[in-house]
Amino acid sequence: MSRKRKPVTDIQIAICGSAGDGTIAAGDILKRAMARAGYKVIAFDLYPAEIRGFGKCIARTRITANQVYSMKQKSDVLISLDDSHAIPHVDEVCDYGAIIYEDNPMSKVEEGGHISGHAAPAHIPYGIPFREMSERATGSARSRNMVAVGYIAGLYGMPQKIFHEIVTAKFKGKAAVVTTGNIAAFDAGYEAGAATIRLDFGVLESRSRRRGKADLVMMNGNAATVRGCLDAGIETFFGYPITPATSIMEILAAEMPKTGGRLVQTEDEISAVAAAIGAGYTGARSATATSGPGLALMTEMLGLGTIAEVPSVIFVSQRGGPSTGMPTKTEQSDLNLAVFGVAGDGQRIVLAPTNVEGCYKCAGKAFEMAEQYQTPVIVLLDLYLSNRYEAVAFPEKNPFVRKCSKGVSRRGTGSPYSRYAITDDWVSPRAVPGTEGCQHAITGLEHDVFGRPNDQAHVHEMMSRKRHEKLEAAINHPDITISKRFGDRGKVDVGLLGWGSTFGEILEAMFVAQKEGIKCAAMKVVMLSPFPKPAVVPYLDDCAEVLVPELNYEGQFADLVTSATGRPVNRLNRVPGTPMRVDEILAEIRRLADGAKQMAAE
Amino acid sequence: MSEPLHYVIIGTGAAGTEAALHLRQRDADCRITMVTAGRLLFIRRYELPKVFDGVEDWRELLVYPPEFYDEHGITVRRNSWVTNVDPERRVLGMRHKEEVSYDRLLVASGGGGYIPAGLSEYRHLLQRFATFGDAIRMRQSLPEGGRVIMLGADMTGLDLARKLTAAGFRLTVVATEQLFWPHEVSPRKRTRFVKALVAMGIEVIQGRAVAGIEATNSGGPARRVVMDKGDLRGDVVIPFFGLMPTLDFMVGAGVDIERGLLVNPQLATTDKNIWAAGDVCQIWSPEENHYRFYYGWKNVKMMGRIAALNMTGDNEAVDTVKEEDLFINANGEIDSPFWEYD
Repeated sequence: MSRKRKPVTDIQIAICGSAGDGTIAAGDILKRAMARAGYKVIAFDLYPAEIRGFGKCIARTRITANQVYSMKQKSDVLISLDDSHAIPHVDEVCDYGAIIYEDNPMSKVEEGGHISGHAAPAHIPYGIPFREMSERATGSARSRNMVAVGYIAGLYGMPQKIFHEIVTAKFKGKAAVVTTGNIAAFDAGYEAGAATIRLDFGVLESRSRRRGKADLVMMNGNAATVRGCLDAGIETFFGYPITPATSIMEILAAEMPKTGGRLVQTEDEISAVAAAIGAGYTGARSATATSGPGLALMTEMLGLGTIAEVPSVIFVSQRGGPSTGMPTKTEQSDLNLAVFGVAGDGQRIVLAPTNVEGCYKCAGKAFEMAEQYQTPVIVLLDLYLSNRYEAVAFPEKNPFVRKCSKGVSRRGTGSPYSRYAITDDWVSPRAVPGTEGCQHAITGLEHDVFGRPNDQAHVHEMMSRKRHEKLEAAINHPDITISKRFGDRGKVDVGLLGWGSTFGEILEAMFVAQKEGIKCAAMKVVMLSPFPKPAVVPYLDDCAEVLVPELNYEGQFADLVTSATGRPVNRLNRVPGTPMRVDEILAEIRRLADGAKQMAAE
Repeated sequence: MSEPLHYVIIGTGAAGTEAALHLRQRDADCRITMVTAGRLLFIRRYELPKVFDGVEDWRELLVYPPEFYDEHGITVRRNSWVTNVDPERRVLGMRHKEEVSYDRLLVASGGGGYIPAGLSEYRHLLQRFATFGDAIRMRQSLPEGGRVIMLGADMTGLDLARKLTAAGFRLTVVATEQLFWPHEVSPRKRTRFVKALVAMGIEVIQGRAVAGIEATNSGGPARRVVMDKGDLRGDVVIPFFGLMPTLDFMVGAGVDIERGLLVNPQLATTDKNIWAAGDVCQIWSPEENHYRFYYGWKNVKMMGRIAALNMTGDNEAVDTVKEEDLFINANGEIDSPFWEYD
C-alpha cells in the first residue's frame, strides 16, 4: 500500500492594494512574523513609481519549511485591498487557493468591478468586511490592512503572539495608540479567521520558534548590502537618490554616524561618484549607490578611477530601461554598461550577487577588492534582489579584511615615489596624500610610473597592460564565491548558466528538471568582470546544451559568455519587469534535453 | 450582430446546475452566470455525513469538478449574496454593492432549514448542517460516541441520523409534526415507522414540546434542551423542520410570492424575464387547482431542465414526480425514494 506523503509547508501569500492602502506594511509584518516563528521566508514587493494614491502595490511572501530560492509563479492566497488592482492577478492564484477580499465596500461597485466575479471555479473565495471590522476595532477604516493580516493569520493558525511582537516593534516610537489600534485591528481579523472553516489547500504546518542557533534576520538585498558595507568598515558615502537603490543611502544615513562615518547627499550622480573617488584617493573606504541611469552618468568618472587607480565601490541596482524606463520594475539590462561602459580600455571589477546573503558578502568583499586591486568595483544588484526579503544567517565573526591596500615601505629621500610602479602582480604600492616622501600626481591623462602625463606608445601599452593584468588575480580573491556549480556532476544534458537575482529561479527549475529525470546542472557566475573563464569553460565542456536565462532583451550575459569562451549558448531572454518564470526556464530545459537526447541517439 | 444573451441563475444546486448545462447546450454563445452565497461549487449534500468517516477533502463531494464550469463557459460567483432584484432594469443588487445585469433570470435558490418561531431565538445554539463547513464544525463539536439531539426530523435529517448512528454516535429525535417531512404519513403508519427508527438505534421522543435550549459549560455535553417535561443533554442540537424557500431578495421584485415563488407549469413567474425552479418555487397544479411544492432530487433536476428549455424559447410543462411513500425495507429499516440520489 502506498503511503500518502505528508504535505510540506510551502505557501505563498500575495497582498495587493493601491499605494497608501498599507499593502507593503501588511506584507512586512507577515514576513517578519513568519521568519520569527521559524519558517524560511522569501518575500518580494512590487510598488508603483508614484508615492501615494495611484499605482498598484503587491507584497508577496513565500513561507516554507525548507530552503527555497525563488518566489512561486502562483500564490496560494491573494488578499485584495483594492479590487481594481487585484483582479488582473486572480489568475496568479493556484487551483484551490484562496482569494480574500472586501465584502462590504464603502461605495457602489461597477459591474465586473468586484473580485468575487473573477474568481475561477477552482478558487476559494473569502469575503470579509475589512473596513467595518477596522472601524469597529479602531474607530477608523485605516487599519483594514491589519484586519486582513489578522484574518489570514487566524485562518491558518499562525502564532498570534509573535504578530503582536512584530506590530509592537514596527510602531515603536509612535504614539501608543498606534500600536494598540493596529493590534486591535489584527486581533479582530484573527478572531474572524480562526472562526472560519478553511476550505483552501495551502499548507502551513505549525512550527516551534527556532532556538539555539544564530537567529535568522529578515532582510532585503539593499539592507544586506548596507550591512556588508558597515562590516567592511565603510567610512564615506556619497549618493543621489534613485529607485531602487535609494534605501541603501537611507539606511546608511542612519547607521554611518554611529561608527563615525560620513554620508553626503550630493546634487547629482556625477558629483556622488566624483566624491567617492576623491574620498577613495585619500584612503577612505568609500562608496556610492545608484541605478542604471545614474551609472550612465557616472561612467566618465569611473574611467578616472580606473586610470588613476583609485579604489571606490559603486552599488548599482538595475531597473527596467533604457533612460527613465521602468523605475519600479526589475531587469538585468545594465550588464553591458557595468562591464563595458567606459571610454577607452577601462576594465573594472563587477560583482553580481545572486541572493540576499550574497549582497552582504559582495558588498564587503567589494571594498577589499577595490583596495587590493586599486580600482573601482561595481556591485550589480537589481530591483528584485534589492527589494527581495530573505531570512539570512549572518556570520558571528566579521568576515571582511579591513586594510588590504598594498602600502609603501619606509622611504628615504632622494628617489621619487613611483605611484604606478610596475610590479610582479601589477599592483603598485599605494600611498595616500600626506604620506611623507610620497608626493605624486594623479591625472586622467595617461601617465608614467610617477603619474606624470605621458602619451608615448610604450607607456600607454605598459599602463594598459598593468591595469588589466592586475585584475586577473581578483578571480582568485579569497573567501568569496566567484562562481559555483549545482546539480548533477559530470556530463549533463542541460547546463544552466546564470547571474544575479535570476539564479534563484534557475535553481528551482533545475531541481524540478532533475526530479523529472533530466541530467541537469546550474552554475552561477558572481564575478562578471574579469570573467572567471577557468571555472566556466570546464563546466561548459560538461554540458551538451547550455541555457542562459536572463532578464534583458539582448542576452547581455550570453554575449559575455560567448565572447569570453568562444562557446555558443542557448538564450532565454525576457523583459516582463517581473522575475523570470520558473516554468519558462523549465520548458526550455525540457526542450533542450529532448534535443540533446536525440543528438546522442543519432 | 446582437450581443449574446446573459442568463443569470441564482443558486448553484441541482436545479440551477441542470439549468446551466441545458442553457449551454441550447445556446453556445450565451453568457451564463451562477450566483451563490456558498463558498464551494455544487456538492453532494447528502454525502456531507462522510466527514464523520474521516473525509476532510470536500473535493470528494463535488458533483462536477471546476473544469466542468470552465469547459461549459459558466461563471460561478460564490460567496455572493443577492439583496434585491429590479425587473425593470433587469439587474440584481448584490450585498457587496455591485449590480449584475441579466437578460433572463432563473431563481433556483433552494431552501434553507426552517426554524419554528419559538426556537428562532436559540438559533445560535443550533447546529446547522447545510454546508461542508457546517459538517466539519459538527464533527469538531461531537466527541466520539457523543449525543446528537435532532429536533423535527424531516427526511433530510433522518438521512443524517441513520449515518450518524452507523458512525457510532447516539441519536435522540424529538419528533414534531415535521417528522418524515415531506412525506405525509398517517398516524397508523407513523407508529410503525417510529418503531423502525428505534430498531435502527435512534431514540425517539414523541408528544413533548421544546421550551428552550441552553448552553452549558459544566464539563458535560454542551447543550441542554429544556422540554415541557424534563430536560435532554446532548453535544449538539440540530434542527430538521423541513425547508423554507430562500427568496428574501425577491420581495419587492413585483413577482407573485406565496410561501415560494409562484410559477406556472412552464416555471415562468409573473415577470416575463424571470423563471424559477427547485425547492424555491410553488408550481400551479391544474389538477389540484392550487400551487404546490415538489421536493426530491428527481423533481428538482427536472425543473432545472424544463426552465432552461423554456428560457430559450420552448413551452414545456413540468412533469413532476410526486413523493412516493415511505416504506420499511428488507432490513427492517425505514427507507424512502426521497433518498434516491443520482
